Amino acid sequence: MRRVWESVRIAFQSLFANKLRSILTLIGMIIGVMTLIAIVSVINGMNNYVSGTINAMGSSTFIIDKYGVITSEEDYFKAQKRKDLVAADISAIAKNCEDCAMVGGATRKIIITVKRRNLSIGGTFLQGVTPNFLEVTDYDIDYGRSFTKSDAQKRRSMAIVGPDVVDNLFPGIDPIGRNIKINGYYFTIIGVAKPKGSTFGVNADNWVVIPLTTYEKYFSNQETIVIFAKASSYSRMEDAMDEARVVLRSRHHIKYSEPDDFDMMTSEGLIDMFQNFTRIAWIVLVGVSSISLIVGGIVIMNIMLVAVTDRTREIGIRKAVGAKRRDIMWQFLVESLTLSLVSGILGILCGAGVSLLVASATPIPSSVELWSVLAGVGISSAIGLFFGIYPAMKAARLDPIVALRYE
Amino acid sequence: MLIITRNLWKTYRVGSEDVHALRGIDLEVEKGEYFAIMGPSGSGKSTLMNLIGCLDTPTKGEYILNGKAVSKMNDDELAFIRNKEIGFVFQAYNLLPRATALHNVELPLIYSGNGSKDRMEKAKRALAMVDLADRINHKPSELSGGQRQRVAIARALVNEPSIILADEPTGNLDSKVSREIMEVFGKIHDQGNTIIVVTHEQEIADYTQRIIYLRDGKIEKVVRK
Repeated sequence: MRRVWESVRIAFQSLFANKLRSILTLIGMIIGVMTLIAIVSVINGMNNYVSGTINAMGSSTFIIDKYGVITSEEDYFKAQKRKDLVAADISAIAKNCEDCAMVGGATRKIIITVKRRNLSIGGTFLQGVTPNFLEVTDYDIDYGRSFTKSDAQKRRSMAIVGPDVVDNLFPGIDPIGRNIKINGYYFTIIGVAKPKGSTFGVNADNWVVIPLTTYEKYFSNQETIVIFAKASSYSRMEDAMDEARVVLRSRHHIKYSEPDDFDMMTSEGLIDMFQNFTRIAWIVLVGVSSISLIVGGIVIMNIMLVAVTDRTREIGIRKAVGAKRRDIMWQFLVESLTLSLVSGILGILCGAGVSLLVASATPIPSSVELWSVLAGVGISSAIGLFFGIYPAMKAARLDPIVALRYE
Repeated sequence: MLIITRNLWKTYRVGSEDVHALRGIDLEVEKGEYFAIMGPSGSGKSTLMNLIGCLDTPTKGEYILNGKAVSKMNDDELAFIRNKEIGFVFQAYNLLPRATALHNVELPLIYSGNGSKDRMEKAKRALAMVDLADRINHKPSELSGGQRQRVAIARALVNEPSIILADEPTGNLDSKVSREIMEVFGKIHDQGNTIIVVTHEQEIADYTQRIIYLRDGKIEKVVRK
């Protein structure tokens, strides 16, 4: 134990004696461990975030989309030829799908400029939605009200807006009941959402939603919409999906032998898909971090070989006064272990920093996983031991007579 | 008898040739003796010192140290013997440059597994014996040549070895300091330690009781005083 402390002390001494060299020595390992910790925490955070978002729709919800999952250009061109989904499809499904508890939909987002008198805000996302759409998304109305069925039926020019729109167009004024102008049309604000901050640098508070029916009335260049439906219960999901499928096929006049011209996705399917994607990202990034860990290990081995040469005479002295092979071996192993553990700990701290940064700058609830910290410590010490063995053996095998005469 | 060597040979292979550094050394040393090994360079005195100091093993012959046959021991067994039985003093001091005098003197005790309190006490006592009690926390770079060599002598003494082996202990020192160092050796000999000095300086050898002259790997003559 005393000898272990002695070696740890020597390791720290040489670390501090040569700061620049130490930093260069340790940086490979630090980056390796840092990436490992950061990847694990960010990917876990992403998985939690995405499952949380998708699960907010409920497990018995499914989505109908014109495009579905596109994995190639070919897919995309094929999907482009499909019929657009429109608001009328929603009401048809709502009418004929007995196992659907709720059917809604939303357009894709388009970017517009919102004006009021001489004020304006650009880069705003506009989306047409069914009244029930807001219930299944995580937009919370801060004040005012949401859309009603009659707003939709009567195609009222009403809007719910994100807080940025209010801040820019109604500074210090209550916006409820006041008008904004989009593409020359006026919309009355009935509700304002709570602020959400930005996601990946994209502002999540600069948006306007209007009833889907109103959207179709004013923005005739509209594209396809995405339909979502909720089955009356989880066990009725298959039936609900079949019924919705039949409705759309008949509306699109698809022959019995032809496949669907739309895609249906369940929330479970979406989560699975996302997790498959992150699993691949995980494997790739862990591969990258292992490479830097191995490079870091080789650098540590190199520096230990230099240390053995530098301290040949010291090894000779120690052997002359009675150090056995294993004493010298341990001294250098503990030293390389100390180096790699120090870089492991620094790497963990940097990785935790990255994770904190991600957690504060994005809505991803990334947090450092205990197992990844343990893995970081374990892997770095394993590397320190493994790459320390050769230099330590070299030191232990030195002939004391030769070592004592070494200049 | 502390040291008995019988027909000690050491042969090195240089290229395709065998070089005999020692050609049958017979030596007996009693406990408490103080003697010198002299000889010109190439006479084999360093080789003999390495063998006596258990840094190396003979090619042929027998070496019995304190009743133990060390000629056939392996590396780790030799390390154990060095730790317990031998105290080295080198020409170039061979102290650990980054360690304090105290820590340098403690070093043999670390490898014999002494507790830290015991180590500290013994090291302080050894440093006091060479009149360095006030320098225990100095590093070698903060000490003069003579002081460094005295730290080395304290290190050699600290584990109470059977023999103190000094290899050209005054080789790096001026004559005044050399005299001081030899006085230290005289003092520790008076306390009952066995001391072997390897030197090529007659003046230094004259401090001892017996001088063994080596030439071409053999004992040429022995002078007793």
